[in-house]
Amino acid sequence: MEIALEAEQLGKRYGRTWALRDCSLRLPAGRIAALVGPNGAGKSTLLHLAVGLLRPDAGAVRIFGEAPYANPSVLPGIGFVAQDTPLYRDFTAAELVEAGRRMNKRWDGALARNRLAQLGIPPKLPVGKLSGGQRAQVALALALAKRPRLLLLDEPVASLDPLARREFLQSLMGSVADSETTVLLSSHLLADLERVCDYLVVLQAARVHLVGAVDDLVATHRQLVGPRHGGEPIDGVDAVVRASHTARQSTLLVRTSGDILAPEWTVHDVTLEDLVLAYLAEGETTTSHAAWEVPA
Amino acid sequence: MIWLAWRQHRKQLLFTLLGFAALAALMVPIGLSMRHSFTELGLPDCVSQLARSDVDGAAANGCESAFRQFTNRYQSLNLVAVLLVVLPVLVGLFWGAPLVAREVEHGTHRFAWTQGVGRTRWALVKFGLAVVVTVTLAIGYGLGMAWWVSPLTQAAHEGRLGFIVFDLQGIAPIGYTLFAVALGIFAGTLWRRMLPAMGVTLAAFIGVRAAVAILARPHYQAARTRTFPIEGAEPLQESRGNWVLASGVRNPDGKMVAADTRIMCPPGGKGPDGHRCGEELGLQPGAYNWELYQPADRFWLFQWIETGIFVALAALLLYLAVRRIRRIA
Repeated sequence: MEIALEAEQLGKRYGRTWALRDCSLRLPAGRIAALVGPNGAGKSTLLHLAVGLLRPDAGAVRIFGEAPYANPSVLPGIGFVAQDTPLYRDFTAAELVEAGRRMNKRWDGALARNRLAQLGIPPKLPVGKLSGGQRAQVALALALAKRPRLLLLDEPVASLDPLARREFLQSLMGSVADSETTVLLSSHLLADLERVCDYLVVLQAARVHLVGAVDDLVATHRQLVGPRHGGEPIDGVDAVVRASHTARQSTLLVRTSGDILAPEWTVHDVTLEDLVLAYLAEGETTTSHAAWEVPA
Repeated sequence: MIWLAWRQHRKQLLFTLLGFAALAALMVPIGLSMRHSFTELGLPDCVSQLARSDVDGAAANGCESAFRQFTNRYQSLNLVAVLLVVLPVLVGLFWGAPLVAREVEHGTHRFAWTQGVGRTRWALVKFGLAVVVTVTLAIGYGLGMAWWVSPLTQAAHEGRLGFIVFDLQGIAPIGYTLFAVALGIFAGTLWRRMLPAMGVTLAAFIGVRAAVAILARPHYQAARTRTFPIEGAEPLQESRGNWVLASGVRNPDGKMVAADTRIMCPPGGKGPDGHRCGEELGLQPGAYNWELYQPADRFWLFQWIETGIFVALAALLLYLAVRRIRRIA
């Protein structure tokens, strides 16, 4: 199995704050991976490290086995759409396609033009005058025209309305479905990506909390409802990810490796959303009472 | 890449050229009329006469008054010359500072630097083109200004080596403009926002330019001294074209008695109350006028040295900017 993106103890620091820390993950080629986490979790940092814009302060990141920082030979293989899809706003879409041809050895201009034509993007209008959704489509078309092996999208749908989101993701899936392109796209909302991704990376507070193929993750997690639980081990449960209690009842989200036979527990399957929320809630939030000068 | 740079900056280039054309439209008529007056007053002859050492006093006096006439008429243009000295820094502010800072401010560097060519290549092409444009503009500026300012310079005592006029002409503007652009680019990679980068460029440019002009330039070559007696039949000959750094009257033992002045008495002349020439100042017999100066024929040597300093600074700044760019995300 080829690994498209591999991070090993990867870390990036801004001043004294770690934006990303101890990040280890391996993204197999051909996957469509969602990178999920709240704002400020380190998603952009991870993507910037992957595309070589940033230099790691700790550990290493490799794209198809090569370190991307200060290594332009990696760039032709990566399509990158940065947050807010920055483009030269006074360029027309046609000029941007031309600019892409001038800046890339491998360039499929016809692919970009066909895509943009199909989407009804005007070629002679400065892209600054297009809607946010159209601009995102232009940026995606430019990234796809590189015929990348790895496509990195940083919050591509964050600024789009729900309809434009769906269209964007549909057209993205349509274009990568028949190619071997590996996709890693980030969002702070899982709902955006749930239907399209088959691999999941959950980041919070600069750390990786969960990583794996969606099928495996769903298969190895269960929700248990039963009498109030005091923390004693349950047969078949590897770990309790999150527990919530009422006076007489406990709801647990657990990781299992086998069947749970204990009769007092009702076992439910989990949705991807339950899973992500449970892992995000597990991450501690640090308080700042002292900085606000208010009592804790 | 070159296509991209051209597409991105063609409007800016157009506006720059329009600005230059407007400036030329303003300056060329003034320059022509100035040259016309210069010829009319017979000053070209004076220039060649005064350049000789055996010039006779009457002709020299006539020339001095003609020069004075010319200078009085066109004195205000010296102000224009001062204003024109700022042109190189404007190029630095509007071409240099935004080159990287605007990309980062708009986030477009994330698009440009993740294309196949990579950011180092991007930077080299962009900086290279900025240098080519800058040098072209600066050559035009230097030649144009040399033509424009030469009557003013010839009429003034300090000649082409004087402050302001030295900075306006020859090849020095190439050094200044390159330095301003490189400074702008580098400031842009440090502050990554256009306005702070422009502010820093302006401040640093003025600081470095002033420091070099005031502290370094007088010492590019060891200055020469000239001494002449304080008594003589000939009226005082002003040195023409030399850049006088310091002057004064010294006693025979070399002690400076009166700085920044010159004295000329008729031979054996006595003051109103019977004093010897300059006795009331404390001058002893044998005191002499003293002058420290850079001779006029060092103009090109000084131009090359000055240009070399600024080109070297520009190269250093561009090198640092390329290195900085690798650290911007």
